[in-house]
Amino acid sequence: MARQPAHPARRQIKPASAPSFLLLAPMPSPRETLLARVTSALAPLPKRAPLPNWDNELVIMRQARGPVDAWTFFAERLKAVNGTPLASAAALIATLTQGGWKHGYCDPALWDELRPTFEAAGGFNVETTFDRSRIDEYQFGITAATAGVAETGTLVLSDRDTSRRLAALSPWVHVAVLRRAQIHIDVPAAIAALPQDPNVVWCTGPSKTADVEGILIEGVHGPGIQIALLLE
Amino acid sequence: MDHASSALITSPSRPSGKRVQLMATCLCDAFYDDVAKATVEVLEHLGCTVEFPEGQTCCGQPAFNGGDWASSRRVVRHTVKVFSGDLPVIVPSGSCAAMIFHGAPLEFEKEPDAAEVTALGNRTWELADFIVNGLGVKQWPGRYAAKIAFHRSCHSRGTCSGPASLNLLSSIAGLEVVPFGEGEQCCGFGGTFSVSFPNVSAGMGNLKLDHIRAVQPDVLVSGDMSCMMHLGGLAEKEGKPIKTQHVAQILRDALKNA
Amino acid sequence: MALQQIDQFSAKLRPETRASVYDGSKKGHEKRTSVLFDHYPDPDHLRRLAGNIKQHVVENLDTLLPAAAAALERNGVKVHWASTAEEANAAVLAIMRARNATKMVKAKTMVSEETHLADYLGKNGVECVETDLGEFIIQIDGDHPSHIVKPIIHKNRRDIATSFEKNGLGAYNDDPQTITRRARAHLRKKYLEADVGLTGANFVTTDTGRLVLVTNEGNSRFCLAATPCHIAMVGIEKLLPRETDLGLYLNLLARSGTGQQLTVYTEFISGPRSATQPDGPEEMHVIFVDNGRTDALASDCREILRCIRCGACLNVCPVYRQASGHAYRSVYPGPVGAVLSPLLAGERFPELADLPKASSLCGACHEVCPVNIPIPDLLLRLRNRGKQEGSKAAAAGTPPMGAWSLLASQPFVWKTSLLAGNSLNYIPKSLIPVPPMQTWLRDRTLPAWRGGAFRQWLANRPTPPAAK
Repeated sequence: MARQPAHPARRQIKPASAPSFLLLAPMPSPRETLLARVTSALAPLPKRAPLPNWDNELVIMRQARGPVDAWTFFAERLKAVNGTPLASAAALIATLTQGGWKHGYCDPALWDELRPTFEAAGGFNVETTFDRSRIDEYQFGITAATAGVAETGTLVLSDRDTSRRLAALSPWVHVAVLRRAQIHIDVPAAIAALPQDPNVVWCTGPSKTADVEGILIEGVHGPGIQIALLLE
Repeated sequence: MDHASSALITSPSRPSGKRVQLMATCLCDAFYDDVAKATVEVLEHLGCTVEFPEGQTCCGQPAFNGGDWASSRRVVRHTVKVFSGDLPVIVPSGSCAAMIFHGAPLEFEKEPDAAEVTALGNRTWELADFIVNGLGVKQWPGRYAAKIAFHRSCHSRGTCSGPASLNLLSSIAGLEVVPFGEGEQCCGFGGTFSVSFPNVSAGMGNLKLDHIRAVQPDVLVSGDMSCMMHLGGLAEKEGKPIKTQHVAQILRDALKNA
Repeated sequence: MALQQIDQFSAKLRPETRASVYDGSKKGHEKRTSVLFDHYPDPDHLRRLAGNIKQHVVENLDTLLPAAAAALERNGVKVHWASTAEEANAAVLAIMRARNATKMVKAKTMVSEETHLADYLGKNGVECVETDLGEFIIQIDGDHPSHIVKPIIHKNRRDIATSFEKNGLGAYNDDPQTITRRARAHLRKKYLEADVGLTGANFVTTDTGRLVLVTNEGNSRFCLAATPCHIAMVGIEKLLPRETDLGLYLNLLARSGTGQQLTVYTEFISGPRSATQPDGPEEMHVIFVDNGRTDALASDCREILRCIRCGACLNVCPVYRQASGHAYRSVYPGPVGAVLSPLLAGERFPELADLPKASSLCGACHEVCPVNIPIPDLLLRLRNRGKQEGSKAAAAGTPPMGAWSLLASQPFVWKTSLLAGNSLNYIPKSLIPVPPMQTWLRDRTLPAWRGGAFRQWLANRPTPPAAK
């Protein structure tokens, strides 16, 4: 279709039209130019809209108020977004075996804890370094979660706690190791506890798209299987 | 106007009472005299004295929606003059009522006579809203044996008119209200929209008709004859006419079987 | 009388396209409604609150923008400012040139659509690959997105399979799973080769300087895990005053946009990667983009700057469903686009002044908006402005109202006309030379004219029974 650019070249400030003595003054910086436009747009307002306060209770889902413990609630909500909650290393071995996922990466800090179970099961090739030139060879990646959000079945990752961004993203199966005490009950609690970290990522179920005819397809660029592994 | 929200919100302190002014609307003046008659009869049944200011013409909405606010304001100023006083003004149309309490104040925001326009808006009621929320009527007497589809017109979005109409209709003996698909969607009329966007408008209307026909109602009912004119006109042109009625006509006819 | 351009576009739309758009939007709307009302007792209260907070942002950008920039800079982000599309694109290119970078992977950002960034970079020797599945398909097709959230809502699987085949992405296969896997394999290489990852931002917190991105596919996360430099193009209205406000907006955005409680990925980015993290950008840039927003801010339609780009108004809009997004001739389609696009067009406002006409003013867009923007009111204000500025595009197909207003402000003339109109019943309507009437009659009949009948009945009836 013939399509015009929607937005025209915007008016430029023309120093040439200014009196000549002003040419000696420094040109306004891009920051000054933009902020001056904002200031002049707002100048005619007689008063500004106030900032309302609000209560976190407002955004907590009704269903979020069960008598169950945090992990049970978390597991239920994770399943609702097609995630996989597992409560033991043995359960992880069973899931990986069933899927035929034998080669993967594990955060070296977690490997000591998991190694006995993997070695007892046998047949796994687990690396504790991640080589980005062989990215497609890793079928699973095991990394540590920073937190969980029960209400939404969300796993929280961060630069500090998650050993490799790529290892938590590119393998078909991502296993995030979660501790019971790390689970926040709802979104406002998790927001209040956002880590001081340059990169915090909330993962709520496997990577997905519905771009093609609204049909749900999982595993688009990231994991097709998202596992939360509870280790006590 | 509240900077955050200016949905169709009616004033909480509109006057009620049994002396009222009727704004019949231009559509009833030109095409649907029986709707205006039914409105008078229904109001009189409820004990109201109905005044009809003779000088009334139109609410000003066609020009307002068309973007010609200068022309629209001329008509609104006339309407404000004709409906002077402090009686409740009753309109058998959600759309014209909304023009008076919402549209007109919007186009008068920067005008010196904005206060008079807003004052008229603050005593204007859509008919069903007035019956239920102004006069406190919850139950309608009589009988109307039919399966009806109720089209909630868009200008009752956010107002009490939709629920009021539905409650009144549902309370009538013998009357069954059948819901239909995508009931919240517009019929495609939109005033001048229907002639400046005829293809989109007809597309919307035919979609609505498909949903309505699927539930096979005896009558299609609405609080806005503009929607009925559009849907009824589309259906008739197609050679598959449907019976359309205003809420006031159903209420009046139910009384005949009281 | 020429018809409105959007109506003409709609009339020529492929039936398959209309069906795709209709089905996709209807599904989106139904999911939104069920999730929002199932999860919350009073979603309307949340919408009003979210609207009020964003209105505060819009009306205090003069203080909040410098505060946000300072917070970002404290976090180690380099902040740039661009008043125009050209300046924004040039800023991106300058950052890349300084790093000798030639390859970019890009996540979905509407601002970069506004500035036509990908075309610009292509002309300047930079490979810019769209990584969102829908945007990727748009790019290989040389097409344009037709929805804010679902860019290829107008395409069906057969269209996509054909373009994959044409672009060397495997033999024809219209299975959505296969299409997705092929894109996964193809784009993975692109991420790993790229020098720069570019994203937009859904929110920027003013107090803590965090950039928040919500996505489902994981492509933006891949951009930020595989490349050494992150550039974010951010509209100046994207700010939130407090980090805690995210609890409100994240909950509303996903539910309104896709009917999810949260999107799969919510990223909170506040700077280059930490020293201990081997993956991700060592350098991060934020470009604050105006590109017409300050014109909108100065207008009486500044409420539109609250928009959080969820697409709910598109999904519910009956005109959008009939006409499709491309009918709007601009980056932002649907009700929000009908307000935003003409405003962002600056001096070219009259050319797009027909967009606000493309609405029956049904109000459904206002009813679903998570930040409660009174879109119908803004459409009406822009219609008035279009009339005042003499826009030809806006005037097309619109009956003139001047004569009517004279008629409707003089009771005697009005009543005479009502009676005179009765002659309409005695002549064939097809002969009446009034263009709007002929347009009406093409698809509809008119009821019989009964002008003055009600007034006559009222005057002639016996005195009504006295009030009880």
